[in-house]
Amino acid sequence: MIVERPYRRRARGWQEGALTLLIIVIAVIAAFPLAWMVLSSLKTPEESMQVPPVWLPGSPNLDAYMQVADVVSLGRSFLNSAFIALITTTAIVVTSLMAGYAFAKYRFKGRDWLFAALIATMFLPPIVTLIPLYRMTGYLGLNASLLGVVVPNLANAFGIFLMRQYIKGVPDDLIDAARVDGASEITILFKIVAPTVLPAIAALTLFAFVYHWNSYLWPLTVLQGNTDQYPIVISLSRLLSYNRGAMNTGLVMAGATLAVLPPVVLFVFLQRFFVDSIVATGVKG
Amino acid sequence: MPRPTRPKSSRATRNKSRVSRGGWGTLPRPLSFPKQSPRMIGRHRRSTIGMLAPATGLIALFVLVPMVLTIGLSFTQWSTQTGFETARFIGLANFADLLGPTSIGRDFRAAFFNTALYTVLSVALIVPLSVLLGLLVHQTFAPGGIVLRTVLFSTYMVPTIAVALVWSKLYSPTEGPINQMLGWVGIPPQTWLSSPNTALVSIVILNVWQQVGYFTVLAVAGLTQIPTTLYEAARVDGASPWLQFWKITLPLLRNTLLFSAVVAVINAVQVFEPVALITQGGPVNSTNVLTYHIRRVGIERAQGGLGSAMAVTLMLSLIVVIVLLFAVLRDRGDER
Repeated sequence: MIVERPYRRRARGWQEGALTLLIIVIAVIAAFPLAWMVLSSLKTPEESMQVPPVWLPGSPNLDAYMQVADVVSLGRSFLNSAFIALITTTAIVVTSLMAGYAFAKYRFKGRDWLFAALIATMFLPPIVTLIPLYRMTGYLGLNASLLGVVVPNLANAFGIFLMRQYIKGVPDDLIDAARVDGASEITILFKIVAPTVLPAIAALTLFAFVYHWNSYLWPLTVLQGNTDQYPIVISLSRLLSYNRGAMNTGLVMAGATLAVLPPVVLFVFLQRFFVDSIVATGVKG
Repeated sequence: MPRPTRPKSSRATRNKSRVSRGGWGTLPRPLSFPKQSPRMIGRHRRSTIGMLAPATGLIALFVLVPMVLTIGLSFTQWSTQTGFETARFIGLANFADLLGPTSIGRDFRAAFFNTALYTVLSVALIVPLSVLLGLLVHQTFAPGGIVLRTVLFSTYMVPTIAVALVWSKLYSPTEGPINQMLGWVGIPPQTWLSSPNTALVSIVILNVWQQVGYFTVLAVAGLTQIPTTLYEAARVDGASPWLQFWKITLPLLRNTLLFSAVVAVINAVQVFEPVALITQGGPVNSTNVLTYHIRRVGIERAQGGLGSAMAVTLMLSLIVVIVLLFAVLRDRGDER
């Protein structure tokens, strides 16, 4: 992305220096809580209780990380989170590609109306549907299980919107040529259209993965206290209540560090796609 | 087959610009299917339904149906533990309770007020801050800007539960580094999460820290859309950067600001994790916000009808706020 920066060419040396300094200060403030989290996870229990607080662990150690696994079933929680995030993400990408393709390239009665109705659901806070949804998954026999977490989240309006925005840019000639060759619509979508919108697929993958890895309200509600099925973020909150007696901040921080790693690592490597997709949905939307 | 590349046809560009002006409501005319035989049309009807069915069906079943049920249940007395058929129609009694003098009404109105305050503070901090940070990222030479963007945005990826845990330690009155740092510059220790006067604001700060990066990226996206020729012309006319900001940047950022404000409001009313994890609505109900309160009433106390009435009130209030935001901020086109 080449961007013209309006003020830049006027900037002199000292201005660049001042800007750099400002950036460093803001970045340090922004990164501080996460740095504190990692540092605290390496401290001994005594260090994390000291007043005034010590910033750097005297002898960094991984004891807290070992202890996390004793308090909550860490591996199981990670697997649960991975299951939730991977299943929902895969399904969202497929359903969004299909619907986005239809909205971008088909002409049918009520299309604009239907699209607007779907987009409106994007702005609905989950709490508004939580109570009846909890009863509905109960009827389906999904409560207290991971399936109950996953099944209501296999499609979402944001994904449809994102895919439609990108697929609109795919030339019709490409699609018509494949139709003339006798390709089915599904083949056209997954063999021809999907490869041209890979950046959008990457962005949606990451958005969906991070959202469902982090989600708390719905899993907490639908799992009904079935700790075997808890994703890592709920196990983390149990760590805190355990910690109230033990007063070991390091333990909580170690758990938090572990839970933060997958989404943040994904983001750091693939952030370009996030940013581009926000441009595509935010500005043009 | 040659690998297709991202197309840049003039038709696509024209449509994009039309969408940006029209907003959600008006969509561009379709491009495809110019001439077809009846057989082709039949085939396309089938594939239209096939393509739309999974996503539309799932969203209808798990979003639209529960939304309609919420509205219906708000007029009933119903225990969440029992089937929908046990709901008993009681008219507007739930809403009367919410407005009434009993503890039901008082608690709800307190939660409503807390949510409104939380939302106003969050939006009032996030949107201006995101524009300032956006300007900084946008103006800065590439590496510095990208580093700042990455750091700011990465906090948006962190699970809110982890954010709440970490900040509860940062805010700790004696063992936390925030009061320690305040002490270095001579500011007395603050109560943060432990006093009803400061708890809600403390959660707002945590929220701003987590979310501002996302809105900064939105602001940068908006800034890149402003033609540089406008700034060049302004400079030729001798306009100061200050004047350029107020006369060019801000007016042309209007749609971005509208979108940011709407998203920030919707995110703010969803605040749940810090309250559920750290404060449980306290101290003295000062952080009892709607998402937390509705879940407590509707799920934990199983008062499904009452909880639904609260959810409906929240939904209606949101619609009013969003309509007002559109009325105030919407680019009317004639000002371009």
